[in-house]
Amino acid sequence: MARKQCRIGVMFSTTGSYSVVARSMLNGALLAFREIAEAGGAVTLEPVVVNPSGDLARYRALSLEMLGAGIRQVVGCYTSSSRKEVIPCFEKFDGLLWYPSHYEGFESSDNVIYTGASPNQHVLPLVDYLASRVGARAFCVGSNYIWAWENNRIFREALTARGGTVVAERYLSVGDTEFDQVIAAILDQRPDFVFNNLIGTSAYAFFRAFRAACRARGIDQASDIPVASCTLSEPELAEIGEDAVDGHLSSSVYFSSLDSSANATFIRAYAKAFPDGPVSSADAEASYIAVKLLAAALEQAGTDDARTVRAAVANRRLQAPQGEVRIDPQTYHAWLTPRIGRSAVNGQFEVLLEARNPVAPDPYLVQSSPRFAVAMRSPVLRVVQS
Amino acid sequence: MTSRLLQNFKGGRALMVTGRCGWEGTLDTTLAKLGVTSEYPRIVGGRAQIDVGILQPERDILFVDGDLEGAVAIEVNPASRLPPVPVIGLVGVEAPSRLKALVNLGATAFLRKPVYGGAVYASLFMGINQFLLRSDMYARLQDLEGRRRGRRAVIHAVILLMQQDGLDEEGAYSQLRRGSMRARQNLELYCEEFLSRRANPPDIPGRATSTTLQGGTKQAM
Repeated sequence: MARKQCRIGVMFSTTGSYSVVARSMLNGALLAFREIAEAGGAVTLEPVVVNPSGDLARYRALSLEMLGAGIRQVVGCYTSSSRKEVIPCFEKFDGLLWYPSHYEGFESSDNVIYTGASPNQHVLPLVDYLASRVGARAFCVGSNYIWAWENNRIFREALTARGGTVVAERYLSVGDTEFDQVIAAILDQRPDFVFNNLIGTSAYAFFRAFRAACRARGIDQASDIPVASCTLSEPELAEIGEDAVDGHLSSSVYFSSLDSSANATFIRAYAKAFPDGPVSSADAEASYIAVKLLAAALEQAGTDDARTVRAAVANRRLQAPQGEVRIDPQTYHAWLTPRIGRSAVNGQFEVLLEARNPVAPDPYLVQSSPRFAVAMRSPVLRVVQS
Repeated sequence: MTSRLLQNFKGGRALMVTGRCGWEGTLDTTLAKLGVTSEYPRIVGGRAQIDVGILQPERDILFVDGDLEGAVAIEVNPASRLPPVPVIGLVGVEAPSRLKALVNLGATAFLRKPVYGGAVYASLFMGINQFLLRSDMYARLQDLEGRRRGRRAVIHAVILLMQQDGLDEEGAYSQLRRGSMRARQNLELYCEEFLSRRANPPDIPGRATSTTLQGGTKQAM
């Protein structure tokens, strides 16, 4: 019987300010395509790789181009702004976007399968950890777009509910690397920790500059004012450089240091396939998972029609490098295993805590947030003279 | 007064006043993701069978199809223009008369038919929070109305103090203000009670309540 051929779009910004993570995501997806091809099966997948270079207009144009050419399944996007940019295209043409990255939640398009972590799987476990073991005063920094705005909002509400405070929030444009004022403000406030939602080159520059500024003042940054993130991954540690790589906290569902045979197999295969890097990351694993689940769903569906494939992936389980992953049939987000890690000088994360079992996705925080928003009042007094 | 902002709708119940046309599946599944269950009251003789008496504003949300003529008979408070629970209008025919009917029912948000999943959270958020905001504003309005009516008592109390205690206007007002703060009452209520007390002074033993003249000697007051 002839194998059914199916073209799959693969859309990552392998150039631009967040290209390091995106290239690891592309690698994760390509590794899965390769393994699926080697394993044989009823469906042959042909990846069609495009690069929007971090340009939102290009994301939209390339999505329309692929959907117009009859491609109905696309694995791609890293930033939430790019995902939100292309969702209307997928809804219009009834395609399916497999979004393989952690994100801020409060979304559930019928034309998206979310294989990355939901906010209850990354930011809420991090708040628990920080509030119980690090301190109560946070300084938030982030790239100026929906990811940082919303992740900081969730963080602020959860921390406030635990008696903590956010002393300040600062946002910089994606790709901005001028941090003198922000770092001066942090050192002036002396928070217990910094909550970082910067992405790409901005994040790497911040980690380096903050470490250097602390060192110049005799502050042991990693222990006195640690930086905690939901985005930081192994290929980014390499970008930060060995001088400032250690002691950073990260909340993630996957670290390449996980001690399991499934992960060891994944890491070996990944390193062999992509010896020039970038090394694997949580988002690379999520991309790998997305392609594997997509292939299984296509095989079951026997068609690449979005609705049929979507129905076929509901409740589908996969033994992934991080452990068992399952697609929730109500939200089409993944059950994943939250973990807290701390970066080490070897460019890996030491796993400090992990959930015993995969945790159900809760993209709208229906199960994990109070009914009413934490009241954020304007200050009663304002500074009239400093 | 700070209005509460509801952002987690878990435990909510949506009452759908609409015919089953097929598009409502998207609304049901999206509401389920938000922790809200959907119920479809029967429509008999063009009227939805809803027991308004058991509706709970903390739980229930009414989705009303604007294309159904007079399907819902709920009483909107004539003063506050508030329905008993939040109402979200489902808009098909976008005509002023249909929209006006939904506004008259107290709708605080609209959802366009056929419903697009991505619009549901925003509509629910707006509909419920506008309802809460209006409820809070109405309560505040009621409070201010009560105080406005009470200003008459303040004026009387100031005049009384000026006449009886020889205070000037500012001194009388300050005394009343201090008294209201000590009593943790608003000024208007305090003045009403102050006037009642002055109108019926309590009997104090040992104190002469009237001046008497004895033996031709004048007794000073």
